[in-house]
Amino acid sequence: MELSRDEILRYSRHLLIPEIGLEGQQKLKAASALIIGAGGLGSPAALYLAAAGVGRIGLVDYDVVDESNLQRQVIHGTEAIGKLKVENAKRRLLDINPRIQVDAYNEVFTSANAMRIAKEYDVLLDGTDNFPTRYLSNDVCVFLGKPNVYGSIYRFDGQASVFYAKEGPCYRCLFPEPPPPGLVPSCAEGGVLGVLPAVIGSLQATEALKLLLGIGDPLIGRLLLYNALDMSFDFIKLKKNPNCRVCGPNADVTELVDYEAFCGLPSHDRADDSASADWDISARDLQTRLARDPNLLLLDVREPHELRISSIRDSVNIPLGQLTARLSELDTAREMVILCKSGTRSRRALELLVSAGFKKVKNLHGGINAWARDVDASLPIY
Amino acid sequence: MPSLRIPPALKYYADNLSETDLPAASVTELLAALAGRYPAVKFHLLDADGNLRRHFNVFVNGVHVRELNGLDTPLRPEDQVILLASAAGG
Repeated sequence: MELSRDEILRYSRHLLIPEIGLEGQQKLKAASALIIGAGGLGSPAALYLAAAGVGRIGLVDYDVVDESNLQRQVIHGTEAIGKLKVENAKRRLLDINPRIQVDAYNEVFTSANAMRIAKEYDVLLDGTDNFPTRYLSNDVCVFLGKPNVYGSIYRFDGQASVFYAKEGPCYRCLFPEPPPPGLVPSCAEGGVLGVLPAVIGSLQATEALKLLLGIGDPLIGRLLLYNALDMSFDFIKLKKNPNCRVCGPNADVTELVDYEAFCGLPSHDRADDSASADWDISARDLQTRLARDPNLLLLDVREPHELRISSIRDSVNIPLGQLTARLSELDTAREMVILCKSGTRSRRALELLVSAGFKKVKNLHGGINAWARDVDASLPIY
Repeated sequence: MPSLRIPPALKYYADNLSETDLPAASVTELLAALAGRYPAVKFHLLDADGNLRRHFNVFVNGVHVRELNGLDTPLRPEDQVILLASAAGG
């Protein structure tokens, strides 16, 4: 694929590198990459792949830009709040490089559409924020024989690897099963340093470029562990798991499955305003209950520093991590409602309390953010 | 004593330590020592039957215990153990 006069100028700094040169840049122009998730990891990955001249970039994301995204999802700006992520990202990428093709898939990546979308691309970058989509991305890549450039982040820590079943282990070789629902906190629950996805997402872009160019030593069979506080980069060697159910010699997963059922989790975090489970109580119902029953205990399982952001009056604070050790402070007979930021940690706490013999416990659906939204507008949502 | 690197999501339950030395002669003993010192870790680490949850991986001196003797892998005082957990954030 020939480069135009303008492209030669644009990619001059690549053309000067002997490992890339004219031939490599032509390879990139003819190449394609699919980025799952236009969020923290997808932002820097997409920006750099577009700038590098990867000829076709696909973006999959169902979400709209939220103000809380902007601390790290640098492809989006303030004026994009409320707009579709993929459409806004496409506009930004084409501004950086109008000579590439950007395909925006405004949809949840599911078993129904994943093969159709992914088969069009040379490499896939996994920048999702949930386990069902990570397992789906892995399996799609195994079945299509494509490399899966993996990255994940949490607070100050990141992981990166290239899972490529043709040449090394896949994601399932390392993680045969997902964690039980709610056990591993998401960035929405635990937080993330804003610049962390820039490090990991840029590493994913680097690995994708190396794979597309066929240069260097890719992260196949190696897992990078990065810690921003220690500024440490550690590598673990990974091997194929002979018992892997999707790429092992006796693999029994031969087609895409229901990944939400596999993980016991939805693959998206769209707000669900209904407090449908037996153990859930909505913010408005809690308001009614509190007016009627002054003995109802509010147990807030967030961290003390979060209570400085918002809190409900007269709630008792026992952080989730201390709950097991401080059960004796709670009366098993007393009715209580547990709350956290958005309902995940409080659900975990509820399970702990129920297993310890507490019977009259409920979970504030949507957490204190739902309370701030539906009951007390003076509180900030975070 | 062998050293143990604690995964980010778990160190919250372990005095925010990213690494600690624990007295143990095997991987099983090491994990039990961790759960013994920090009781809140236990639920996250072990399932109802006391087995290591399957989203964790253990590496001894960079080698997966699958390639050694599993959780029965013996440990020497100078061994470095990494407990690796899956993370989904993106």
